[in-house]
Amino acid sequence: MSIDGPPPVNLYGQPFVEPPQPENDAAGWQRLDPRMLAVLPAREVIRFLPALLVIFFAGSASGGSGWQFLGILVPVALGVYRYYTTSYRIGDARVELRSGAINRRATTVQLDRVRTVDLSAELLQRLFGLVTLKIGTATGGGDGDRLDLDGLPAERGARLRDQLLGRVAATDLGEADDAPDAVEAPAPEVEITRFRGRWLRYAPLTSLGLAIAGGLFGLAAQFGQMADVGDRLADSEASAVSVPGPVLIGGIVVVVATMIVVFAVAGYAVTNWAFRLTRRDDSFVVRRGLFTTREITLDADRVAGASLIEGLGVRAAGGARLQAIVTGLDATESGSAVLVPPAPAHESTHAAGRVLGDDTPATTELVDHGPAAARRRRVRALVPASLLVGAVVIAVALSDLSWWWLLIATPLLPAAAALAADRVRSLGHTLGDGILTSRSGSVVRQRDMLHVEHVIGWNLRATWFQRRQGLVTLVGTTAGGSQRITVLDVPEDLAVAVADRATPGLVDQFASAAAD
Amino acid sequence: MRLREPANRVSPRAKSMWRIGAVSEGTFTGVAVAIGLRFAFDVTPTWWAVVLALLAIIIYSVAVPEWRYRVHRWEVTDTAAYTQKGWWSRERRIAPMSRIQTVDFTEGAIERLFGLASVTITTASAAGALSIDALRRDDALALVDELTHAADADEGDAT
Repeated sequence: MSIDGPPPVNLYGQPFVEPPQPENDAAGWQRLDPRMLAVLPAREVIRFLPALLVIFFAGSASGGSGWQFLGILVPVALGVYRYYTTSYRIGDARVELRSGAINRRATTVQLDRVRTVDLSAELLQRLFGLVTLKIGTATGGGDGDRLDLDGLPAERGARLRDQLLGRVAATDLGEADDAPDAVEAPAPEVEITRFRGRWLRYAPLTSLGLAIAGGLFGLAAQFGQMADVGDRLADSEASAVSVPGPVLIGGIVVVVATMIVVFAVAGYAVTNWAFRLTRRDDSFVVRRGLFTTREITLDADRVAGASLIEGLGVRAAGGARLQAIVTGLDATESGSAVLVPPAPAHESTHAAGRVLGDDTPATTELVDHGPAAARRRRVRALVPASLLVGAVVIAVALSDLSWWWLLIATPLLPAAAALAADRVRSLGHTLGDGILTSRSGSVVRQRDMLHVEHVIGWNLRATWFQRRQGLVTLVGTTAGGSQRITVLDVPEDLAVAVADRATPGLVDQFASAAAD
Repeated sequence: MRLREPANRVSPRAKSMWRIGAVSEGTFTGVAVAIGLRFAFDVTPTWWAVVLALLAIIIYSVAVPEWRYRVHRWEVTDTAAYTQKGWWSRERRIAPMSRIQTVDFTEGAIERLFGLASVTITTASAAGALSIDALRRDDALALVDELTHAADADEGDAT
């Protein structure tokens, strides 16, 4: 570069600085653990299994001379190729991963941007005592880099995890880098809650259970349609079927219900078996999984709060689940923020108390939002239901829609009334001891509890209807989870008072002396 | 305690810009709907439907920009930024100066014709971005200057 004229400057008048050159030396690259030579091909074989089976059967059927057995060489070769072309390096300031020889990929993660370090181990890896180290640099509301070191010995993986998290903490505090063997003995862990067999009873009641139910019913309906079950049942006397119609239907319902329960419980068990939530020094550790075990570490500083979530089915059975609100982890990664899966309510509230450092927010009484908010809940629940029932009534009266529809539609009104009453009861908020608690919802009732130091700013939103009734929806913006905590339909003066108490000095400069 | 409105309004030229936007948007949608009805459903709109549609567009282009101009206000103090936006659903946003991450200055093509610009303030929260549309260009530049200097003065990385 010539030095004629003034040195180049950027928009702010600061001189350009050369970015640091990447380390191009070939030193320090390591391969994955040799035992991965067994795991990687096995994984590829499993992935290719459907294709292999097709080839095998096609080959045997056409009487081939054993060529179909060669098919298995492809995934094995692929696995071996993956092993030999993957290498990683952990330097002072970054972690690098290289993979592939034909399609080369190089991922680099700066150590001071590491936000999450998790361990997971599939069944195959567990057989050989290996783990996968997942390093994430998720920043709030955006995509982060992910780097997976797929095949480290378990002890090495755990030690590396502690080191990486230790380094992150050290950088945050601006301390010098400690010697790598400073973390020798694992810190003592205090258990908060652990899985018990009776938690399985919540499995069919979750939204997952309902989704499975919906899927099975759809399948059964499709099958029934194809087999003309309806017509068959109608002439059950005429045909050779000796089982009376209602008993057959009852039998089908029982079978389907059992299948739902079995699938839901199996799904829950596979994800949450041996679940443990513990506190270790200044982080929370979540371990769970039956075949693939996962170990997720959440830095206590970044746990801004927690949400106690009760789906309708789970709440009816006296359960709840707890999810952490984590800064730097957006809503799409909510799977890694699970603190307690659907479990008895007292377990979740106890865990909430331990995570927040305060037992009251999870169980305290909440401030009512007043009659206007209650009216809004009722209107919003009853109007759509009334319109629907009205439409059905008109359709039945004016066209030849069967009377059965009326029977199905009428219970919607008392159901909507019950929904409205429950929503009114659930709505509330409180601010106490630096924690803002807000609860709303009925079908999914959610109690958000957030440390107010994590609230960045406030949004107050009011539609024309809300303005007429003096209500406002208060939203505290945060850098974690869903990026906000919402207090729904609260009288405006209460909202401003809460915002002022939570973040003193921010909101009162815009307050008006007289009422609007 | 209630919140008062922010102190400053945006440029009055915003009304003209929004009106032109509303008229073109309304006309485009109307023509598209008419064409769609004609060719997909073989329905020719009657004259009174056209009159109604035109009336709706006129009301939308006259009343809504005026309403929006009255509502859209902004204010910046030593410690916070405060904006108010929206005609049907009014939203007031407050962000502390110490948590401002970026200040963006944008001039859309139409904004440039009117000599206007927008300023967007982002914080660490995706739900907490404040935006002030249709400021006079010089006002917008001055505001960006003021905000970046105030944000520089505060230490920390605003996360």
